Amino acid sequence: MDIDFSQYEPFKPVVYAVKCPKCGSLDYPAPMICKNCGERRDPSGVIFSAWEKVPLEGKCKLLGWTKLYALPEGIEKKYLLFGVVEFKNGLRAIGRLLVEEPKTGMELVSTAGLVREIPGEDVAGFIFDIPG
Amino acid sequence: MYSYGMTLPGFGGIFTRMYMERYGLTEEELSLVAVKDHENGSKNPWSHVETTCTIEGICNSPDAKVVNNMVADPLRMYHMCPVSDGAATVILCAQDSPKMKYFKKKEPVLLSGIGSATDTHCVHKRKDPLELTAVRLSAERAYKMAGLKPEDISFAELHDAFIILELAISEEVGFFKKGKAREAIVKGITHIDGSLPINTSGGLKAKGHPLGATGVSQIYELVKQLRGEAEKGRQVKNPKHALSVNFGGFGNNVVTTICSKE
Repeated sequence: MDIDFSQYEPFKPVVYAVKCPKCGSLDYPAPMICKNCGERRDPSGVIFSAWEKVPLEGKCKLLGWTKLYALPEGIEKKYLLFGVVEFKNGLRAIGRLLVEEPKTGMELVSTAGLVREIPGEDVAGFIFDIPG
Repeated sequence: MYSYGMTLPGFGGIFTRMYMERYGLTEEELSLVAVKDHENGSKNPWSHVETTCTIEGICNSPDAKVVNNMVADPLRMYHMCPVSDGAATVILCAQDSPKMKYFKKKEPVLLSGIGSATDTHCVHKRKDPLELTAVRLSAERAYKMAGLKPEDISFAELHDAFIILELAISEEVGFFKKGKAREAIVKGITHIDGSLPINTSGGLKAKGHPLGATGVSQIYELVKQLRGEAEKGRQVKNPKHALSVNFGGFGNNVVTTICSKE
């Protein structure tokens, strides 16, 4: 008997953009209505179609950043860095920045990963780092 | 985003850095807004923070990094509003209502224009993250209703939860061209004795930000100034029309109000 071990694989977070089935435009975070053609999205796929999900990762450019010292309760760090990036496909995202001395316009690479571990509620999100 | 670790001051920090890099605004020029707001707030008896501050004290002195600690680089403590408690009330009555006879004790002020607009909550998703489109749209609607233009406004109360927003909003409502609000604060145009005073109450920076009461407290200030009842040293000379901008989130839900002297 074959045993499917895939369910035992470690959790690998992925952040998705969505693709409008009518006009093909990409959007992140997923909207309920396409800003380009007005097509409606239904995550359950019952009333309107569910849109194709496209992993959002890879090379990106840093547009702006901050070093945040006043962090939400429960985060026991002196500071965290956050940045806004633009991907090659024009989509933008905000996420955790691992570069200690960021410079606006620098090339980064984006991955998805666990950014915070709260018991029972692990938080996954974008992590931006220097390529290589 | 909050569970991520990102907060509203974090958005303010990113916005401020982008503004500084695009328009050449310096930390000292930005701090001039705080100095002005604290000066106005010190003369307002309803102000949360009634102390004044100086550029020397919050920027240049050896103790500045302690007194004015970093919160969301490049935003420091004196670049953001306190969290306040407070309440404010206005009484509205239709101009042609017979009930107007009950409001004879004080000079009524005309609500000449009001406009609201919304924008996406995702700052990064906006066409230009430095554009506050909802502010521009709500102001256009208020101007249209009032039949006025930006140059008709005598003074304004703007939502400066982070003082960079005073500069950005003043550009969006048409007081200054993009990137030029910086020159206005340096030249003293937005000071109480300037040609277009902004945040005469001390703004959210010094008067305080009691969240739900903030918008109404801005209208209270407009009415007080238009009636000529503001305290000595912070009364605008002969105001005719006044504008306020209040918003929720980071410019996602904006209301612009114009009040006029009848």
